[in-house]
Amino acid sequence: MAEILGCSALRVELGARRGLLRHRAGVRAVDGVDLSIAEGETFGIVGESGCGKTTLARALLGLQRESAGEIRLEGRRVSGLDPRAARRVREAVQYVHQDPGAALDPWWRVGATLAEGLAIHGVTARAEQQARIAETLAAVGLDPALADRYPHELSGGQQRRIGLARILLLRPKVVILDEPTAGLDLSVQAAVLRLLRDLRARFGLTYVFISHDLSVVRRVCDRVAVMYLGQVVEEGTAAALFAAPRHPYTRALLAAAPHLDGRESGPSLPGDPPSLAAVPPGCRFHPRCAEAREPCAHTVPVREAAGPDHAVACLRWREVA
Amino acid sequence: MSVPVLEVRGLGVRLRTEAGLADILDDVALTVPRGGTVGVVGESGCGKSTLLRAILGILPRGAEPPRGAILFEGRDILADGAASARGRIGFVPQDPYLSLNPVFRAGDQILEIMRRHAKGPRAGHRARILDLFRAVQLPDPEAALRKYPHQFSGGQRQRLLIAAALACEPSLVVADEPTTALDVTTQREILALLRGLVAERGLSLLFVTHDFGVLANVCEEVAVLYAGRVIEAGPTREVLDAPRHPYTRMLLACHPDRATDLLGIPGTVPAATAQPSGCRFHPRCPIIRSGCPVEPPALVTLPDGHRVACPWHADPLPEVADG
Amino acid sequence: MTALRLLARDPVAFLGLLIVLFAVIVAAFAPWIAPYPDDAFESHIMQRLRAPSAEFPFGTDNLGRDILSRVILGTRNALAVAVTVVLAAMAIGVPIGLAAGWREGWLSESLMRVTDVFLAVPQLILALALGQLLAPGITAAMVALALTYWPFFARTVFAETRRLRSSLFVDALAGIGASPARILFLHVLPNAAPAVLVRATIGMGFTILTAAILGFLGVGAAPPSPDWGLAVAEARQHLPEAWWFPTFPGLAILLLVLGFNLLGDGLRDAADPRLRRSRR
Repeated sequence: MAEILGCSALRVELGARRGLLRHRAGVRAVDGVDLSIAEGETFGIVGESGCGKTTLARALLGLQRESAGEIRLEGRRVSGLDPRAARRVREAVQYVHQDPGAALDPWWRVGATLAEGLAIHGVTARAEQQARIAETLAAVGLDPALADRYPHELSGGQQRRIGLARILLLRPKVVILDEPTAGLDLSVQAAVLRLLRDLRARFGLTYVFISHDLSVVRRVCDRVAVMYLGQVVEEGTAAALFAAPRHPYTRALLAAAPHLDGRESGPSLPGDPPSLAAVPPGCRFHPRCAEAREPCAHTVPVREAAGPDHAVACLRWREVA
Repeated sequence: MSVPVLEVRGLGVRLRTEAGLADILDDVALTVPRGGTVGVVGESGCGKSTLLRAILGILPRGAEPPRGAILFEGRDILADGAASARGRIGFVPQDPYLSLNPVFRAGDQILEIMRRHAKGPRAGHRARILDLFRAVQLPDPEAALRKYPHQFSGGQRQRLLIAAALACEPSLVVADEPTTALDVTTQREILALLRGLVAERGLSLLFVTHDFGVLANVCEEVAVLYAGRVIEAGPTREVLDAPRHPYTRMLLACHPDRATDLLGIPGTVPAATAQPSGCRFHPRCPIIRSGCPVEPPALVTLPDGHRVACPWHADPLPEVADG
Repeated sequence: MTALRLLARDPVAFLGLLIVLFAVIVAAFAPWIAPYPDDAFESHIMQRLRAPSAEFPFGTDNLGRDILSRVILGTRNALAVAVTVVLAAMAIGVPIGLAAGWREGWLSESLMRVTDVFLAVPQLILALALGQLLAPGITAAMVALALTYWPFFARTVFAETRRLRSSLFVDALAGIGASPARILFLHVLPNAAPAVLVRATIGMGFTILTAAILGFLGVGAAPPSPDWGLAVAEARQHLPEAWWFPTFPGLAILLLVLGFNLLGDGLRDAADPRLRRSRR
């Protein structure tokens, strides 16, 4: 399949300040990430909080400026631009926030918010706006009458659907979903996931699915990248990665997810997610890794193929497997 | 058999709200045996937080005096005020980020809890706090005493709150979704810690969650709450492996571990101000009968000890066409 | 309109609203309500310092003018001063707050430092100085009040803009390609409006009080204009015999300032987004 969105050696620094007197270096929230997302797939990005998954998404979107590396969209290089220009060339990429309720202006009726997106993108005729809004609300399974409500009058599931409708109106090709099921009840989550699947088929979308919920990722994603401290440590098809995780971190992450049958498998992962401010040398995961040996502390692992469409960045993946 | 640590009988809680009288809990019965771990599971709005608040004696303003009884170690704490139970029930709140006062040191916050419940020399308290910190496996307990909440990570803060819950030597710990704000890796550690503490100290645990996976990991028994009523209860394995109530069956079918397809449940949880008549699940139920909207079904105990509030629990659910 | 409904449920704030509305009506129809509308400027030495009676319910002043009429006519002055000053202060403060809150860097820093400098200027002293400079009068007092009150608006709007700038919905707007002008004027400003409204309401009460003090000190309204502060000042020489002379203008000041403050507090609670959300 053809690549629609990709990046190489992408690096994003956060919090850097260049003042007259003070000069503060930022932290590298994303540090050397290569991704290639194929058209029509659902690409999952998983990892603990603070691993850089949201920063990566914002950089792909153009809201966060990259400090090095390249971003490609539909075969064109779209990096190296200032944020406004970057956003303009990446109109085909849209982002759904983790908390879609807070992403709506509380003083605006939902319909006005939806119409605004169209107006920004040049659809100013009122009749056309109304027609497209009604059509899109129906597509996300909402009653068009909801357009007259204020955001706080909607339920969590409805807010999420509005968040989707808002960006679907702009006819995107790639949709970045940031924790699309966080905070949803099981029954609502199932409905939202099903809706996402239907919309993907109907509008020919490509999803970048950011989540920490591995059971959900396993169900909906075609390919998955596991991030740790700003780097991708393992990447592969969901089937391969979940069936035979190669990186010790992926294994620990999978083992930690609670299952309905109450089983606990594999080692637990001691300690808290480390901070980007103090990145360990060598393999970044080695201080928490049960499999770490002496070389891990000073040799940076490179990405190696661990199977067809399966790559891992671990010095000892062969021994561990 | 000894007296259960906690026994909730026919608990009803109603709340006056702007939208009218909200029927939050109705005829809820629940027993936590000594040393037992009981989970309360349900979706948002099912009343699980209110149940905890009623047990802790911190119902919000606007609540009518609750009906029924809450027996803690045999005494009705609804009747004689929660005072007798206060301090004998430890509480682990949901959000470790919001539950600590940012301007006080960790040690002082726990000391304050202890002093309120037990008299004694300061030095003794300090030694006990250090013991607690070791019990919840906080790294470097001596230093932790003097740290402020923001100097701890999310997982450590949750450990701190567990230590605070244990500070008054409770016989019962109630936990309100203590791991929802945490990463899965940290969640696993915290759940393991809770299980360990319950086993070591002979505690009883009442654990509220919306996550069936967490439930399976921690609780021996479970009560499923829907719209303020217990609709199914029993041993966790029984309920998860062979759910009987149509709601539980459909809900578990939504779980990504189990779902054959992402079906969801049609409709939404009713508003507490407009609870349906009869069985509260009837407007969403695929196997509704004529009697369902009329008579609220009683929680019936089946031969295997599994309790379910649906007379039609043996009926198969219709296959929902994939639309 | 939810704010209004909330206000109706808060009896104290509602009382404030009633007081303010009453004052506005009195001010609007002052010449028709006042029993002796000409007493604004005419004097009747023959009936000076009469005690309250059926003829003059609030008594008369040192020039024989009906105090009730002058209190009623003074309402118009007090409100006009308050509205002008607050509008002028908003016109300066709101754009500065918006600009400083939205941008980061030297512009924002310098705007806020200038604001701090103005906040540090003592209001009465500036008014007295301006009075000397521009010839004492109500205009000088109003300029001084506006010049010392705008920093409060700047700070309020600055804080709101900073908060909103990092809010998710502003981020989402940037995400769908909204221009900064659109975000600022269509989203940030309306969301900051409740805070500005609260600040303006409290500022009205504050301005009326300060204008009265300036009148009392002789650098505000000039005689014979029916100003409450001026009346209290003139009454000093006739105390304690003519107790009614300072009492009724003083009560008018108290009541109107209280009204604005109660209303402001109520509006603050009603407009608090946290309270608004929790009602869901």
